[in-house]
Amino acid sequence: MINIFMHFGNQLLVGLGWTLLCSLITLVFSLIIGTSLALLQMLPSKLVHFLCRIYIEVFRNIPLLVIVMFFYLIIPLYFFKINGFTAGTIGLTLYTSAFIAEIIRSGIQSVEAGQLEGSRSTGMTYWQAMRYVVLPQAFKIVIPSLGNQFVNLIKDSSILAFVAGFDLLYQANAIASTTFDTINSYLVVGILYLLLTMPLSYYMHYLEKRLS
Amino acid sequence: MKKKFWLVPLLFCMLFLSGCGQKVADQAVLKNAQSSKTITWGVEADMKLFSLIDVRDDVHKGFEIDLAKAITKQILGPNGHAKFVTATAQSRIPLLKNGNVDAVIATMSITPERKKVIAFSNSYFNAGESLLVPVHSRVKNVHDLNGKTVIGIVGDNSSEVVKKFAPKAKVIGMQNYGQAVSALKSHQGDALVSDNGVLYGLAVENPSLVVTGGTFTKEPYGIAINKQQKPFERAVNRAIVQLEHSGEYNHLIKKWFGKVPGFNYKEMDQR
Amino acid sequence: MSMIEFNNVQKFYGKFHALRNINLKIDKGETVVLIGPSGSGKSTLIRTINQLESIEGGQLIVNNHDLSDSKTDANILRRDVGMVFQHFNLYANKNVLENIMLAPRIVSHVPEAENKQRAMNLLEMVGLADKAQNMPRQLSGGQKQRVAIARSLAMRPKLLLFDEPTSALDPEMIDEVLQVIKKVTMASEMTSLIVTHEMGFAKEVADRVIFMDQGHIVEDDDSQAFFNQPQTERAQQFLSKIIAH
Repeated sequence: MINIFMHFGNQLLVGLGWTLLCSLITLVFSLIIGTSLALLQMLPSKLVHFLCRIYIEVFRNIPLLVIVMFFYLIIPLYFFKINGFTAGTIGLTLYTSAFIAEIIRSGIQSVEAGQLEGSRSTGMTYWQAMRYVVLPQAFKIVIPSLGNQFVNLIKDSSILAFVAGFDLLYQANAIASTTFDTINSYLVVGILYLLLTMPLSYYMHYLEKRLS
Repeated sequence: MKKKFWLVPLLFCMLFLSGCGQKVADQAVLKNAQSSKTITWGVEADMKLFSLIDVRDDVHKGFEIDLAKAITKQILGPNGHAKFVTATAQSRIPLLKNGNVDAVIATMSITPERKKVIAFSNSYFNAGESLLVPVHSRVKNVHDLNGKTVIGIVGDNSSEVVKKFAPKAKVIGMQNYGQAVSALKSHQGDALVSDNGVLYGLAVENPSLVVTGGTFTKEPYGIAINKQQKPFERAVNRAIVQLEHSGEYNHLIKKWFGKVPGFNYKEMDQR
Repeated sequence: MSMIEFNNVQKFYGKFHALRNINLKIDKGETVVLIGPSGSGKSTLIRTINQLESIEGGQLIVNNHDLSDSKTDANILRRDVGMVFQHFNLYANKNVLENIMLAPRIVSHVPEAENKQRAMNLLEMVGLADKAQNMPRQLSGGQKQRVAIARSLAMRPKLLLFDEPTSALDPEMIDEVLQVIKKVTMASEMTSLIVTHEMGFAKEVADRVIFMDQGHIVEDDDSQAFFNQPQTERAQQFLSKIIAH
């Protein structure tokens, strides 16, 4: 194991960088898209609701690999050039935001209806009531599930390996097939993934405790 | 690494098994073949053009199969019978060493590492790294790849070899040949690099792609034979030469590779 | 000048006819109490006034906004119409002071210093200045409702709606809340509409009493006349039951 760290340190560092970058971008954008989808579903428009449901059901129920392959292989044929990292990150963001939309929606629905009525009765718009009163409470309720989703997202970023995204798993595959030391290559990468996910898990626990 | 005591019994088992195998392999393959009128060949199951099991009749078909049959008849006469056993990349050498097969003909490049363990016949196919590109690509050979993106298989050394010829090429690794071909078609890379043998198979199935630029390394395929079987090895080599002289070899090359776009006959000339 | 005007208003919940042909006019400055058995439509009626419930027929004009017109902006209407709920509905994620200051800040953009001063004055008025930094969950029911009243006043409404403001309270806390409501409704320019079961209180503060039953307005009279001599048998029955308790 030490050998692999020594000989492939650079490669592993590059992999760690791409994995981290993909995870951060996905985290930020899937949170924005997911929350927007959850809010849009609350609007009275049946059409908007319907479109949101289609989005969520499609991206939630198709394997991540298929979504990412679509962006990697189909998009460049008909639309524009897109490299493996971009295709993987876009796919992962759309996939994750479908799950986050469902989590936030359940959070919003578990906030008492009175909170929204109380806000609206003072003249706040729907969006103001959501932003200042309902969403902060909804987020607090769903922190544990969101934390789970974030950890999943980091692990799911390994999808980049399949589209030459140069992430940790891609490097592990490359190292394993040059050294034939599959067990230790994956062990090393497993430890690096832990290094990324553990602090996040602890932070979410801390947040949960602090807010309750 | 520590605490690998479980390895000890395993090693004993392997020693025991290889010990058993040794006896079989020690027997004179050529004599056995001549008396049973049969040579048993280890072949691949999924190598298009070389050796592929046809799902319709479950029979191996390909250049290597036809060549093995021809060599068998050359050695044993018209009544000689070639028997085929499917081998994978992992199992082909063990199968040979323990005597389950007499020879392996399975797109194996003759390398110094392998030669430490087994013997090879003379080359029967001038394999080497080559390029697969879209039909109208401007990439004509490996030197055109500077500044271009090259698709390889993850961990395959082909991509490293490319860098020797085109240092400014960017190499991306895909998980398998299916994905690599898709990536090439989606313009994720400018060329797919691998053994010409593999690439011919891919080119036949994908009319929009063509093998180009010839081979830029020499890694010819040889028939693997056990080390202690010099008489058999000589017989095989003699058979190959006779087939080349009689035109049978060229006939088989034409039969299997004649329709492959970008196939280079000159390169295949064994003499 | 009327503050609220119902003309033949209808409201349905699916097939259930919740409000039937409501005709009602409430003038500026009036304090009106709305009573009736549960399920009679009192809460529904009061909630249509700030459009927490929509109406399905007729015309409803509140503070010169025509609520039957789909172009009317409910958010603008609600700035002038405060509401106090049975279950307080204080923002659980904000402290007492923030509960009061939030709407003036983000809806009417009152400068921060002035907003805070006004909020503290309101807390003073409801007797809770010392609770400014507490979270809602740290308050008793009576205190929560007093904060809710202060919050509804922070927007300086012209009309205040009280939807059973004491129904969720322990008996010993009812009085402190009623005292505050009395203080608020006494201000001559404030128009108030109160749904309540507290008859003694109703008698004390109401200029007018409206009695509802099964979605109809059954009786609409001035306070004294109603309590001394209800006109309909239904109202007589209701009053005798309530007072007997």
